[in-house]
Amino acid sequence: MKIQAKLGYTAAGLTVLAAVLVPFLLYGLFTKGFAALGLHVDEMYSGGPKVRTIKTAAYSIVIHRPVSPHMLQSEKPFVQLDWKPVSALAGHVSDVVDVDGDGQPDIRVSFDVPKDPKTPLRVNVEALNPHYEAMRNVGKERFSKLIVRVDDAILVRVPLAQR
Amino acid sequence: MAPVTEYFIFGEALVLGLSSGPACLASCGPVLVPSLLAERAGVRRGTRYLSTFLGARFLGYLLFAAVAWELGVLVALPPALRLSVVGVIHVLLAGVLLWYAYSVGHACARSCGSELVTIGAVRKRGISGPAALGFLTGLSLCPPFVIASVRAAELRSAVAALLFFAVFFVGTSVWFVPFISLGCVRRSQAVTTVARMAMVLIACFYLCLGLAMLMGRNVYGH
Amino acid sequence: MATEARILPHREIAARSIGRSVLLTLPIVLWSLLIFSNSFRQSNRSVQMAGIITAVFMIALFFMMMRTWSTYRWRRWFFVALGLLFPVGFIHTVMVMRGSMGIPMEEMIAGRTPFCFMPIPLLILPAALTRTVVFPGSILPGGGMSSSGIAAMVGLWLAITLVVGKGWCSYACFFGGIEEGMASVPKRAKLRKIDPRWRYGPWAVLLAMVLLSLALFEPAYCMWLCPFKAVSEYVAARNTLGMVQNGIFIALFAGLVVVLPLLTKKRTQCAFFCPFGAFQSIFNKTSVFDVKIDRTRCSPCVLCQNACPTMSLTKESIAQGETLMSCMKCGACVDVCPKHAAVWHIKGTEVAVKPERARLMLLYAAWGMAVMFGGTIIAQGLAAILHVFV
Repeated sequence: MKIQAKLGYTAAGLTVLAAVLVPFLLYGLFTKGFAALGLHVDEMYSGGPKVRTIKTAAYSIVIHRPVSPHMLQSEKPFVQLDWKPVSALAGHVSDVVDVDGDGQPDIRVSFDVPKDPKTPLRVNVEALNPHYEAMRNVGKERFSKLIVRVDDAILVRVPLAQR
Repeated sequence: MAPVTEYFIFGEALVLGLSSGPACLASCGPVLVPSLLAERAGVRRGTRYLSTFLGARFLGYLLFAAVAWELGVLVALPPALRLSVVGVIHVLLAGVLLWYAYSVGHACARSCGSELVTIGAVRKRGISGPAALGFLTGLSLCPPFVIASVRAAELRSAVAALLFFAVFFVGTSVWFVPFISLGCVRRSQAVTTVARMAMVLIACFYLCLGLAMLMGRNVYGH
Repeated sequence: MATEARILPHREIAARSIGRSVLLTLPIVLWSLLIFSNSFRQSNRSVQMAGIITAVFMIALFFMMMRTWSTYRWRRWFFVALGLLFPVGFIHTVMVMRGSMGIPMEEMIAGRTPFCFMPIPLLILPAALTRTVVFPGSILPGGGMSSSGIAAMVGLWLAITLVVGKGWCSYACFFGGIEEGMASVPKRAKLRKIDPRWRYGPWAVLLAMVLLSLALFEPAYCMWLCPFKAVSEYVAARNTLGMVQNGIFIALFAGLVVVLPLLTKKRTQCAFFCPFGAFQSIFNKTSVFDVKIDRTRCSPCVLCQNACPTMSLTKESIAQGETLMSCMKCGACVDVCPKHAAVWHIKGTEVAVKPERARLMLLYAAWGMAVMFGGTIIAQGLAAILHVFV
């Protein structure tokens, strides 16, 4: 048998072996390899990493790092704030939040917390710092401007005012 | 303004252009890559194509900047008006892409030598395809252009603003040079057909986007 | 190329013996028992029954492939079952978990959008340039519908592609079976003359979608063009634009997956549109298995060309003794050839010398993947149906 044919059959045999190894070895290997690449989901979806937590008596407000869209995304830059746990929130929430941690109030966020978790949420944001955009009766307008309930938290995304 | 400060400003323009280059590439890519692939092969032809495209894009930049400066609205263009302007340009771009894809099929044979594809054959003098595409791409207010215009608007004179744009443009154009290598790709029926089909698809996308913008909806606000 | 004609057994006359067929099927029996052992042990009757039925189904099909020497028609049963039962299982799970096929923004923000293999080629450039995956999922298991995570799907895709190359489109894709089923319904094609340039469609869609995905930083194909959104899930329409997008999905599904396969008896979505298929064609260059035409035996009658569901055989390629890069290794051409000129082949070996050995090795690898991946999906869909009755 020619050497090419031998190599061909060897490769074919290894392919069959690889097929057997897929569920026991290869699948896990490639999955871990991909996870190890250090990629992250676009922050436009994930909301950016958490940077600070403001604790109140009953609940906490988690502040994320402001997200800047990639140059060609037409979403606005925004900052995400999480109120959790939802079970500890009163029927109406109105909080003044120091977003950037400079000791000065930046925004006032007001929203109702309906008992039925499937009821759509609406939020009003008053901009005490012109760096943030005001929002009036906003629901789920866009990824950079919304209020949603995710599990046991209410997420509010406030767009940053652009020059 | 002292000459040293002026150099700093143009240095800033160059750096801004270099850092915005990838975004420019990504923005122009859907128009540039298929149309470049639809051209006949050859590094010289590719260079000619790219030079024409970039030159026309530069004219588009300057034209918009000059008009906007003259009208005093370089920075203060209302969002609704900006949306309409971009919408019109997207619709025109879609039209040119479709016409270009059609014209590739009728591009002159070897006897025409190194002519680039022309669109429209009115009295045998068509518009250069890459020039039309480059010009419209230059007018389309991509984000790097907007950033440069914000900075340029702070300069004292229209000439300084235009020079700022020119240097910024040179910075972005550096990133386009590797695309000359697309001229090395052998042009078979497969490559040309794929390029033409891709142009049609992208044209349909720009058409939808442009029409939505003209109806006042910014599509990519989701 | 064979230097002298070699005569293969006349399959129409003599099927392979039952004993030999059983022997050759034994590895698949063991493999199926291994893969479905978990479901056999489940307390949930519908899951148990689904596992048993699927295992028997896959074993029976492989046995018939061995007994009848043919591949295509038996593989097609599996593939159609996969295409029909995947939406059943998926939609059932989606409705149970969130009550709607529309993906709400909450799910996207929470990273719970399930990741299918289609956007893989579109995400490469944005990931390479910015280390960002422009898909609203989770890299690792994210819970909800995204129980496995993006890494798991990519890992699975890579592993299966390593084994079968573009055979993915015949043995793993859980969408292609719908149109393969549609294409097999009519006895004759009503539309027979198809411009061969439409074969370049998938590459054009791939090029356009890769460029647009990079420009817009989103999976453009999923947002605008995927016909299979009609049978899985889609971004919930919150405005006119969302309605337009959903209209496009439904129109493309109706046209490319239902109507055109009925008219042409071709897998039109796969052959003329699917960008993932174009991307997967690249892996035909790395796969060790392919299909060759033995020119010493070929008439040419072009029966193979007509039978190919993706137009991967042309007069020129037949003259050169090979298929095009788009060959999915479905086996249609091999089974239809009356002269046994179209044969399975291992790269590096002589054409038409022991082609059955090549077929066996391909089938052990490909069917192993089919049982592991497609079989599991079939079982899930079956369990959803059986749950109503059991």
